[in-house]
Parts: sequence; C-alpha cells; structure tokens
Amino acid sequence: MGHEALQSLYPFLHGGKQDAGKLEAALLDAVRLKAEDSVAVKRAFFERNGAKVVAMAHALAAVYQQGGRLYTMGNGGSSCDATHIAVEFGHPITAGRPALAAVSLVADTAMLTAVGNDVGIDHIFVRPLIAQARRGDGLIGVSTSGNSANLLAAFSTARRLGVATFGLSGHDGGAMARSVDLDHCLVVESDSVHRVQETHVAIYHILWDLVHTLLADERGGLEAKP
Amino acid sequence: MKYVDEFRDPVKAQTLAREIRGLLAGIVRAKQRPLQIMEVCGGHTHSIFRYGIQQLLPDSVEFVHGPGCPVCVLPMGRVDDCVALAERPEVIFTTFGDAMRVPGSRKSLLQAKAEGADVRMVYSPLDALKLARENPSREVIFFGLGFETTMPSTAMTVLQAHAEALSNFSLFCNHITIIPTIKAILDSPDLQLDGFLGPGHVSMVIGTRPFDFIAQHYGKPITIAGFEPLDVLQSMWMVLKQIAEGRCEVENQYARIVPEAGNAAALDAIQEVFELREFFEWRGLGSIDHSGVRVREAYAEFDAERRFSIPNLKIADPKSCQCGEVLKGVIKPHQCKVFGSACTPETPLGSLMVSSEGACAAYYQYGRIDTSGLRKKAVAA
Repeated sequence: MGHEALQSLYPFLHGGKQDAGKLEAALLDAVRLKAEDSVAVKRAFFERNGAKVVAMAHALAAVYQQGGRLYTMGNGGSSCDATHIAVEFGHPITAGRPALAAVSLVADTAMLTAVGNDVGIDHIFVRPLIAQARRGDGLIGVSTSGNSANLLAAFSTARRLGVATFGLSGHDGGAMARSVDLDHCLVVESDSVHRVQETHVAIYHILWDLVHTLLADERGGLEAKP
Repeated sequence: MKYVDEFRDPVKAQTLAREIRGLLAGIVRAKQRPLQIMEVCGGHTHSIFRYGIQQLLPDSVEFVHGPGCPVCVLPMGRVDDCVALAERPEVIFTTFGDAMRVPGSRKSLLQAKAEGADVRMVYSPLDALKLARENPSREVIFFGLGFETTMPSTAMTVLQAHAEALSNFSLFCNHITIIPTIKAILDSPDLQLDGFLGPGHVSMVIGTRPFDFIAQHYGKPITIAGFEPLDVLQSMWMVLKQIAEGRCEVENQYARIVPEAGNAAALDAIQEVFELREFFEWRGLGSIDHSGVRVREAYAEFDAERRFSIPNLKIADPKSCQCGEVLKGVIKPHQCKVFGSACTPETPLGSLMVSSEGACAAYYQYGRIDTSGLRKKAVAA
C-alpha cells in the first residue's frame, strides 16, 4: 500500500498526469477568483481616487496646451506600461484625435545600456531627460512599489528642469508618494503586483481619453469666420 | 542525555570539520566559488545556527536555507482565511502555537484571539478532537499545517472523527508536500546549488526513494540528514564526498530513524484521507503544481473548506519582503531590505521571521548579525 500512496502523492515521479476534469475545474475557479480580485482592486481605486485622476488629466493637458511633450519611464513590466503610454499619445486610435508628442525613455536601448554600464542603473533616465526635456514638458513614471531609485532620481532632475511630474504607484505608494518632486501620484493600494499593473493600465487609458477631451474643448468649436 | 549527548560531542564535531576541510581542498569547483548546499528542512536551519555549524566550516562551502518550514511558506491569504473562520461565533479554532503569529493582511490569529475570537493552541490534532467531544454545541476546526511529517497525524485524526461520527469537527487543510517544491527549486533558472541535505522528518514518513529524481534527473547529490550537530556535519561530509568522487546518489545519514521504504501505515492514512490539489500557493515561491493536498470527497463532512464559506483571496506578500529570494537561496536573510529593521521576530513582516525554524528568525537569533546598523539604515530611508 505504501507504494500506491507515494504514487498518489507524487504522480510526476511515476509519469502520472493530473486528472483532466479536476484540473479544468481548479483552473476555472482560479480564473474566477483572480478576475474578481482584479475588478475589486480597480473599483476601490477609482471610487477613492476619481477626482485625483481628473486633476492629473488637467495637468497633463496643460503640458500639451503649452506646447510641451511627455516623457515616460518604468522598470520591468512597468517599462512596457511606460512605452504603452507613449504610443497611446503618439498614435491615437480614435478618429479625430491629434497625435501628441510622447517619448518612452525605456525604448532607447543604446542610451539605457550606455548609461547603465558607464554610470549605473540609477541614472538611466536622468541622462536622456537632461538631454531632451525642456521647461513645460511632462514626465510620467510607473512603479508598482514606488521605490525605484532610477525613477526617483529622474523625478528630482525633472523638478530642477521645470518639467511637470506624474507618478503611478502601488502598495502604499512608496517613496514616490512621499516625494516632494512629484506633482501628482496615483497609488493603487494593493500588495499584488499583477493587480496594481492591471489598474495602472486602466488609469492611463482613462487619462489619455480625458486629456483628449480637455484638449478638444480647448481647441473649441468651428466659429464662423468674420 | 543518552541519544543526545553523543550527537553533540565537540571533539567529534571538530574531527568532522577537519575531514570536511580535507575534502573541500580536493574539490576544484570549491576553489572557484563556495559550494552551495541547501538544507531543505527548517529544523536543520535552526540547528546550523543554534550550534554555530557554519562557523566550523571553511568559506569554500555554505549552507543555503531551503523552504522546509511549513509556517514560513503559508501564504498571507490562507492566514486571512484562518482568521475569517476563527472569527465565526460558533467556531473554536485550534492550531499549533507557531502558526499563531503568522501575519495575515489584516491580522494574525493571535491578534484575532486578542480581539475575542476563540483561538486555542493545541499540541496535537487529537487535542482538537477532544475539544470537539467536550463542546458539542460548537464547531471545532483544526488548522492542519505541515509537510508529509504531520500529514499522518492529521489523517489519523480525521479517521478517528469519522469512526466516532463526530459532527462538529473539521479540518482546514493546508498540508503541503516537499518533493514538488524541491523540483520547483531545481527548475529555477537562477539555481546554483551543488547538493542537498534532505529532510529527515519527512523522510521518516515517505522513505528515501522519492528523492531519487534529484540525483538521477538533476545530477545533484543528496544526503537525508538528522538534526543534531554531528548529524548535520556528517551529512555535509557525505554530500561533499559524493561531489569529490563525482557521484550523485541518495544517501541516508539518518538511518536510525529513516527506513528506505518509509512508514507504510502513515502513508496509507495519508492516501485514505487526502488527495492532491492541482496547485497550491506558497508564500514567497508562488503557485507550485501538485504541492498541496485536500480532504477527499469521502471525508467531505470533515473538510472546513466545504463546510464553511471561506474568502479564499490571493493576497500577495508585502513587496518589501524578499522571502522568495531567501527561500530560493538567491540572497541571505540579512541581505533582505527589511531584515532586522522593519522585520524582526517581535514584529515579523515576512513569514521567515515568524517560526524559530525560519531562516530569517534563525539568522536574527543566532546569526551574530549586528542589527543596530540595519535599524539606523531603516530610519535614514
């Protein structure tokens, strides 16, 4: 009997496979639980922070109204979000919305590896920002912990350059939420990196939409020529 | 004390340490980087620190502390589930003492008890059964926790409850298995391990054969090890001897306790009561296939997960904790960002700081780490 028990306990040692029916049921259960959690985190965030999202949209729209451009940055999965933000603004998918200047600082591999190799990873966003950013521009940083040293260094540089600063963070907001170098910081209060990132996607899609609405209003209607 | 003193003899320990140094001198790999030997079991981790075994050995070999502390790998969401069960007015929630202080996302069982929940510490699952007999109007839930070592006693308790037709006893099953977890560690891309000290207590139940894959498929030597200082030193010597001789086998240093075929009666009880979960979430390591068990349908009436509504939320570990990296041996406990500052045995953030078998708690208590600097660093940050 002992041998049977070991086969049952460790099927992979004996070429055994999971029971297909039970596996499907467990997977479906996992899908339901994770989806419910994802929805709950988003709902809680937007219920608490709706006004802050609108305020951030106004500030982003102001960057473009002044003729500025937007820079984006992040590490790991958040670097993908940073590039996603830049492409949303640079390549609008809705008809009638103008392309807005946005540059992902994580997309320049040569610059990242050069600065990272020569100076250190904490400086990889600072150097290109110094080279490119001008007063009136904007900088968005995405970090699930809010503690990324290279983002904090770039925000500090941006502040010195007169660049408006925006953060998307998670957990308790980390150092980004407490930093005096950020004009706006939206914090998704969840310990799950996945849930934080999913909510970040929703936030920047909504921000993009609101910015265009505000800019359209600024452009005004088609007034009759005198 | 007989059967104890002879395994703590300092003269023999020095002799073994000398033999180990001699073996290491002949291993080329050990001259390039320290050999990394993982002690799988938290009991070994505790012994290594308590008796200063690492300090007896040269720098060319080091212990990597494995995941074999069941309290340490319990995910935060499961602790929340325990608290939710314990806070039900009809429930007497029973648990082993070391699980009381494991932090959940809101509170620990100890905090729940302080707030009025009826949480009671027991020394055996049979104590919970006794409480159920004495309190027929209450629901008594036993928090089943541990590896293959404690599974048989829980299984026997369920079988006893079934035999007595007790209607107010149930089990909140969080038992996990170590073999799939070792495989998950071996499959990790950042693995640098050179060998293993195998878990003696688990092996007492399952025997030595389930460890064969470690040697045969992954080419790593393993010695099933006892827990006294000389056991650990001799086991280390046996693993290093395998490396020195180019062998990869499963050897059994703890033969006075561990039979090759394990304990058939214990395995049968496990087989009767439990079945594998498809996957189970571990704190710090994530979801590992086939690494947990649940109560079989035949004993569903004793399964707290079927009898009660449980939140069953997945709660991630605090981001500041690096328990996962410590568990995989990627970093040492004192290299964690919050070790000794935000995370101490008095106020643990990570589960490795909770149990005395946790690597971080052992480092903190016996590791001769000066934590004053860590506290200053935390204040400055």
